[in-house]
Amino acid sequence: MTTARLGSVRDVDWRVALRRYGWNTGVWLLLIALLVFYASTIPSFGSFQIASIAKNSLPLVFLAIAQAVIVIAGGIDLAVGSMLILSNAVAAQLMDEQAFGITLMVAVLVILMAAALNGAVGWVISVSKVPDIVVTLATLFIIAGLALLVLPSPGGGTSDGFRALFTGSATGTGTNFWPALVMLFVPMLGAAWWMKHSRTGLSLYATGSDPTAAYLSGVNTARAKIVSYAVGGAFAAMGGLASLAITGSGESRFATASNFTLKSVAAIVLGGVALTGGIGSVVGAAAAGIVLFVLSPVLSAMGVDPNTAQVIQGALIVLVMMIAGIVQLRRERAA
Amino acid sequence: MSLESREEMVPDISQPRWTIWLSDHPLVVLGSVLVVLVLVTGVIEPNYLSVSGLRNTVLLAAPLGIMAGAQTILMLTGGIDLSVGMIATAAAYVAANQSPNGALIAITLGLLVGVAAGTVNGIGVGVFQVNPLIMTLAMSSILIGLFTALSFTVLQGSTTVNDFISTLGGGSFLGNRIPYNALVWTGVSLLIVYGLRYTGFGRLLYALGDNPVATRLAGVRSWQVLIVAYALAGLLAALAGILLAGRTGAVDLQLAVNFLLPSVAAAVIGGTSIFGGIGTYSGTVLGALILGVLATMLTFLNAGQAIQQIVYGSIVLGLAWLYARVTGVS
Repeated sequence: MTTARLGSVRDVDWRVALRRYGWNTGVWLLLIALLVFYASTIPSFGSFQIASIAKNSLPLVFLAIAQAVIVIAGGIDLAVGSMLILSNAVAAQLMDEQAFGITLMVAVLVILMAAALNGAVGWVISVSKVPDIVVTLATLFIIAGLALLVLPSPGGGTSDGFRALFTGSATGTGTNFWPALVMLFVPMLGAAWWMKHSRTGLSLYATGSDPTAAYLSGVNTARAKIVSYAVGGAFAAMGGLASLAITGSGESRFATASNFTLKSVAAIVLGGVALTGGIGSVVGAAAAGIVLFVLSPVLSAMGVDPNTAQVIQGALIVLVMMIAGIVQLRRERAA
Repeated sequence: MSLESREEMVPDISQPRWTIWLSDHPLVVLGSVLVVLVLVTGVIEPNYLSVSGLRNTVLLAAPLGIMAGAQTILMLTGGIDLSVGMIATAAAYVAANQSPNGALIAITLGLLVGVAAGTVNGIGVGVFQVNPLIMTLAMSSILIGLFTALSFTVLQGSTTVNDFISTLGGGSFLGNRIPYNALVWTGVSLLIVYGLRYTGFGRLLYALGDNPVATRLAGVRSWQVLIVAYALAGLLAALAGILLAGRTGAVDLQLAVNFLLPSVAAAVIGGTSIFGGIGTYSGTVLGALILGVLATMLTFLNAGQAIQQIVYGSIVLGLAWLYARVTGVS
């Protein structure tokens, strides 16, 4: 929570701006640099590649936003990946062989269900006083189990219109990148605006920053926790719907769930959200989500084999975090 | 426990006496849960209440308990290790690769892999202040990539371990009654319990988790403590991986992946705080045994994987809630 700085006009100079927006800008610049590099490496870079990157990064971006909202409010949700596969499984079962109108209704229903379920998780955390990480470690198993109950083996399906809504074409591959870009930016900017400008959004920042101070200033911190988990659940469901639209069928493997969860945590930290809560933004987390996704096509375009690419990806994350750690340390020494 | 929690110095007289007693002796609660679970499993499958039935549970719980030991040590400092699963797998691979050269070399080199990976984790967390979640997560993904690539080249065909390791991980003695890995686990447990309680290093782990700033101001070089702690965690994870390879008899990339989250769960159920400074290894041992019995019970129930996951998660949640309720600390 940096907006509440007391002080004179002199405080609002470039250093403050750099501190406030520096990391965010850095991540976006990194993303642009990666894309430019990618475009210059492969023989032809056109609308097909843009569409492919935009739509395939959707699930991770939505999960990063989900995790960011929850972490900013002072929690952490290890079950976002499970929520993704549960929504994916439920939607794939209900949308199979249905008309476009019905699939849209199902989508809304699935998002509401995920929000309610995750809101309940938030409620359990605030009532039981058990740490977030422990409760969601348990729900990681429970929700993944539910997903497996709903969809025991890969299958199900959705309507062509619904696939086009996220990917721009009925088959999931094509050159029309506008739907994917709209799906990428509209929810992201919506969430960012809500977090920074609505009363509830600001209460999430306040709660994550200092729960006691927030409570004493009249913020309903229990409600903030529940709201953050509900919104996170809704975004995780969006991720599940997006991956259904991309692949055209449902899947509910536990490995997918835990993998997505771990990536979402990496994305938000890379995106400048502090795991201690109260600091960071949804926009930065979303950009980091795209960066994490784009790394693999970039490395494969460079001729790096997938296993080495994974090693490089891990090392890069550590390197970025080490640099951040040193910057933070120097800032503390200077202060 | 009472050594670490400050609130309990002043007894709350509004509570009944037995709840105060229980909150001072949380291990009694865990022990009772364990006994109840064993009895319930015995009702489901009467054959379970025999030497061989209980032996199987211990055989299952020993690698988990050792891995949870790594988790306990780090959670005391306020950290966590999400790379234990991959460190264990990597160590098992190296041990399998070196098996033709004799058990001593195989085990030593396997353990060294764990120490090396753990030390890198420790340098990242201790020196560069990288968040432990991210550092160990990245380590895990580095190891996955590295060992997938190596399994096609240098480590190709290294899928079985030699007889000594198989016996150590899966065999039993005294007329097939006591598993060898239980013996290893007991030794490790005694060392960890003693180390945490009576050595300066052990007390530093608690101090770091309780108040890192105060510990630093008291003149402790936190980064050194953290590097050693993470290296130790790597060593324990590697040991668990080698025992696991001995038990299953074959090494693959999925060997220990499913042990990561249970290792955290065992420490949490055992009352170790994820925020650091509170917890004991004896609690973790009971936590690992509880999870072992639970796994056996779910196998006997013949439930599908989905139901197993739901029950498993619910019990972890229920126990954590119960623990927070009984002890007033979380």
